[in-house]
Amino acid sequence: MAGRHLVGPGAAGSPIGAPEISPPDLTSINQPPFGPSHWLGTDSQGLDVGVALLLGARTLVLVSVPATLVALLLGAAMGSAAGFLGNSGGRLPRRAAVAGGLALLGFAALAPYWTLAAAALVPATAVWWLLGRTRWGRQAWGFPIDAAVLGLATLLESVPLLILVLVAVAVQRPSLGGLVALLGLSCWTGPARLVRAATLQTVAQPYLEAARAAGIPGWQLLRRHIWPNTRHVLLVRLPLTVALLVGLETTLSFLGVGLPPDVGSWGRLLAAVRLAPTDWWLVAWPGTALVGTILSLQNIINRRIH
Amino acid sequence: MVRAVLRRTLRLLLAAWLTLSALFLVSRASTDPTAFLQATFSNNTRLGGQTEQAALTQRLLGRYRLDRPLFYASWGTATGWRWHGFHNQYHQWATGLLRGELGRSYRQDETVTELLTRALRYTLPLTLLAAVGSGALAFWLALGFSYRPRLRRLGLALLHGVQSLPLFLVAVGLLLLLANPDTLAWFPAFGLGLDSDAGAWWQYPGRTLYYLALPTVSLVIVSLPVLVVQLDGAIQRELAQPYVATARAKGASRRRTVRHHVLRNALLPVLALLPELLPGLVAGSVVVEFLFALPGMGRLLAEAAATQDYPVLLGAVGLVALVRLAAQALTDVLYQFIDPRIRLL
Repeated sequence: MAGRHLVGPGAAGSPIGAPEISPPDLTSINQPPFGPSHWLGTDSQGLDVGVALLLGARTLVLVSVPATLVALLLGAAMGSAAGFLGNSGGRLPRRAAVAGGLALLGFAALAPYWTLAAAALVPATAVWWLLGRTRWGRQAWGFPIDAAVLGLATLLESVPLLILVLVAVAVQRPSLGGLVALLGLSCWTGPARLVRAATLQTVAQPYLEAARAAGIPGWQLLRRHIWPNTRHVLLVRLPLTVALLVGLETTLSFLGVGLPPDVGSWGRLLAAVRLAPTDWWLVAWPGTALVGTILSLQNIINRRIH
Repeated sequence: MVRAVLRRTLRLLLAAWLTLSALFLVSRASTDPTAFLQATFSNNTRLGGQTEQAALTQRLLGRYRLDRPLFYASWGTATGWRWHGFHNQYHQWATGLLRGELGRSYRQDETVTELLTRALRYTLPLTLLAAVGSGALAFWLALGFSYRPRLRRLGLALLHGVQSLPLFLVAVGLLLLLANPDTLAWFPAFGLGLDSDAGAWWQYPGRTLYYLALPTVSLVIVSLPVLVVQLDGAIQRELAQPYVATARAKGASRRRTVRHHVLRNALLPVLALLPELLPGLVAGSVVVEFLFALPGMGRLLAEAAATQDYPVLLGAVGLVALVRLAAQALTDVLYQFIDPRIRLL
């Protein structure tokens, strides 16, 4: 793909050498491309399309790649916890649960008076010790981690991603970092489901049973025996998630929400065409760049699979 | 059977309730209503003194019932936990929702229900047309591909390319190509043409179709590739089954084999896409309605989000979540209709 060779280095290089934001050239608005001073033309406010493209690429890399990393890491953690611990794996001793709950309740009720709140620890410790004497107290409650993670994912997915992010952005009005966190927090469900499935597959293998029988602790099992087998799922997912987030980010800035107004974006550049419907270059260049980026990100996968 | 249906419905309703409650609490907790109202007043020069403004703020807070505590209990570092009883915003909102009242818009002097019904009059035809259109086109293409291998390779490559186009780019491209006086002015660029009262009532559906053509086509283009690729893959898998050879051996033509023997089996994996398709179209209508200036659901949602009109926002998001739940239920019914051996309930 030519797009990869053109867009890849351009997008990757731009965050390092951020161009100086030149003031809009008000003497030459709506300039067609291939002119003497503005090669890619200008929009109706005299902004050079080439500079705007470069700034947009910078934003794209700064937003979508960190957000993808957040989403994938969160998805990996949630997915492997759900697949490895299952519905009975997360165990909480009953006496610890009851005593902890009691202590928390005491703290909450007596919070304004710190000395009294600290005193709530005494009955909690007593309860913990007493329950340790009974058989009921020594047993453990299973916390259904699998069901909890799946339920949370279903809850997040009950509203389409675009609408979810739109609403969250409207309520919070986040900064650039906030937007990254928000995108990451709303996209983890897909990777989590994939990692969970891969983990379930791996856990059922005989060698894992053998490792368990050899007395290897759970953390080591996860690190040495499960993650090497579930890692490739995330690696395959990485470019696709970046592509998804690139599309989402440009759509948001096309709609005029999300990014702070001083941050350039291809979506905003494309939205400028609504003011000047005859300026085809406002669609052609950012559109080509966007499609090239997404296509090449999707093509990386095909290369690797075939 | 009845118990299973009941349990399923209850679980779906619980999910919807949790989503809406979370949205309500988060949106209300993250904005300070007094500061919010004062920010709107500060632009208004007609309101004179500070005391007048403060009084007006109090009156408006009382009118929208924002002066009450948010939840049943609240936490303050100085006071600790405090119990407020049922006299709170969440309880008010929840009981209203049970009675079917969604509250009043902050911005327009109308109830949310009125606003939503008005918006649905435009969005419902748009999304339904797009859903039916993309479904029918996907069928036609996948069936056509199944007996023309060379066309199939070309078509799938093309569809993979189309898949990488974001919806707004497709819509902008169509708008600039087909609704532009400089290139081809075949279609109207915006609106629904309701103001021009030329023509009798029987021309109304035709005119609406004409105005909805470009938005619908852009939605269809975006949702088509996934459907075709899935259906085509399923058909190819089924074509390798022994029963296809039997059908061909008894003398059925390729076309008849695909239509009568393969298609029903190939439909099952594609049905799994339905719960995604309908909410996806509603989400797509946000973009399309913004660009083509249609006064529908998506635009209502985007505007409510931009102006922080929380009652409208909650109502619209709740409706979208409901659409998803309904699509899920419809999919389950269709599974059994297509393959009666399946017992999901």
